[in-house]
Amino acid sequence: MSVQGKVLARKPKKKMGIDRKRSLEAYIFLIPWLIGICVFFAFPIFTSVRLSFSKIVSFKGLITEWAGLTNYEYIFFYDINFIPTFLQVVYDTLLNTPLCIVFSLVIAILINRKMVGRGFFRTAFFIPVLLGSGYIMKQLLGMGVDGTTITTGIVVPRLIADLLGVSITEVVQSFLDRITVVLWKSGVQIVLFLAGLQGISGSLYEAAKVDGATEWEMFWKITLPMITPIILMNVVYTIVAFFTDGTNPMVDYIYKMNFTNQMYESAAAMSWIYFIFALLLCGAAILLMRRYVYDSGSKN
Amino acid sequence: MSTVMAKSGGRKSKAARLAKTFFLRLGFYFLLCALSFIFLYPFITMIVKSLMTDDDLYNITVKWLPSQATWSNYDIAFRRMRFKAYVWNNVIVCGAATLGHVVSCSLTGYAFARYKFRLKNVLFVLVILMMIVPVQVIIFPLYKQYSDWGWLNRSDVLTFLPLVVPTFFGMGLNGGFFIFLFRQFFMGLPYEMEEAARVDGCGPIRTYARIMLPMAQAPLLVCSVLSLVWHWNDYFEPGVYITAPAYRMLPSVLPNLYALLNQENHTMIQVNELEGIVFNEAMLMAATFLCIIPILIAYLILQRRFMEGVERSGLTGM
Repeated sequence: MSVQGKVLARKPKKKMGIDRKRSLEAYIFLIPWLIGICVFFAFPIFTSVRLSFSKIVSFKGLITEWAGLTNYEYIFFYDINFIPTFLQVVYDTLLNTPLCIVFSLVIAILINRKMVGRGFFRTAFFIPVLLGSGYIMKQLLGMGVDGTTITTGIVVPRLIADLLGVSITEVVQSFLDRITVVLWKSGVQIVLFLAGLQGISGSLYEAAKVDGATEWEMFWKITLPMITPIILMNVVYTIVAFFTDGTNPMVDYIYKMNFTNQMYESAAAMSWIYFIFALLLCGAAILLMRRYVYDSGSKN
Repeated sequence: MSTVMAKSGGRKSKAARLAKTFFLRLGFYFLLCALSFIFLYPFITMIVKSLMTDDDLYNITVKWLPSQATWSNYDIAFRRMRFKAYVWNNVIVCGAATLGHVVSCSLTGYAFARYKFRLKNVLFVLVILMMIVPVQVIIFPLYKQYSDWGWLNRSDVLTFLPLVVPTFFGMGLNGGFFIFLFRQFFMGLPYEMEEAARVDGCGPIRTYARIMLPMAQAPLLVCSVLSLVWHWNDYFEPGVYITAPAYRMLPSVLPNLYALLNQENHTMIQVNELEGIVFNEAMLMAATFLCIIPILIAYLILQRRFMEGVERSGLTGM
């Protein structure tokens, strides 16, 4: 009886042993990343949060003194640049993200068809990614592309301007400028949408065609619902990309606060407000869109 | 009689339909060309401008085609930005960082995709946070940290450490994105592979290295291409960490050239053999183009496989 009891007792223990062994194996794979996340991520974040609530007493060893909310007070009430820059970035992001999603989806659908010169178009739409999020793009966008020259390349400005009048032309102009900037930042989104479109089973379209659906109906009833997970992913990606982009005035300003003005505490406070806002925006996007996202049921 | 009528009517509608598809096609290609023109416009401007002579540059009537193309701008830009010296810095950093990302992110992604372990969800939230927290938020603590470790203000090759080492720990530029990429791919593979390997007595690391990794060509390629391109173009972190003039990276040389141009009187070039040449916009554009040529060539070679890779990596199968 005692032997039986032992066996019974050992059985679940052995199973737990396997689970634990598997868990241990996982942690072996995770070791490099765990070290990395502690050293290069969690600790700097902790320091940054601490800095935003304190005042640096000595740089050696970064000795700080608790200062409460003074840094936050400073950037909200004394810094004349922070709020306008911040609002500008928020405004731009809220406007650019939907534009970016719509345009990249349209372009992805266009170049997903079988056609002549598919490789050329795919490369053309990916070129902005190669030129990068970096300085090159910043300068190229600053050199006339962002301003008037691009529209002279596409629209006949004089004729249309005469027809529309000054004020409307200005609106159209600024819209076109914005589109250029947005298009230039939608390379990755186009690639993701393309991949998503390839993933939609062709049999769905065939079945719809047999039932007499038009292309327009197929887009609204098949393509759009099937691609909703990627739309959500792209929205989050776009928000993050716009917020962290080097051409973003807020990022520039934080950098300047850090390394030109050397007001590290205020810069830390600033970047936290900035980051938390980005997080809220992503969260809001996910919450708003979750209801519409198609779930194939293959979760994990 | 009536059948003939019907037949001819059918033919007519067929012709109409053909015309309709033809015009739709035409409109479709027109739209595509217009859109790709917007995309290529800055790129084309850059190439055209880089070939212009001084006279063409200040002649308003020359907008597109230079009256005579000149390659000397490239020669001057090449020497002015010390391309040959700096390009190796880029190659070393981008190569090492890409290797780091491929190794560490695939390991991490694999663990997240195929294992159940304690705190898995908490740790995965951290991966998501890595994607969302911009490096600008933590740049000062990182800077301080590296400076304490003596990684900054060096004048040897070790000055690249702050750019390269984090990538070997799954961090660095967009590390979270790459972990996510590998996780998505590995999640889509059948479990039978590993079970068969385990039954045959294959250890976890060997299973990963010998069975799972060879199957992961698609995400490996996507990760390498994107990591390479992003590191090549990045100028924020190199601009912060690298101070020794000999170890600057190409994109961070460009701001200096732009500053040179923006000075009121165009400065004469001070490099010995180029003395007396006025640095103009055309040379600047040539320098800019030179910066991206290596990455452009690499991409054009890998283009088709890269696109296939994105499709196969299961990134979009959330």
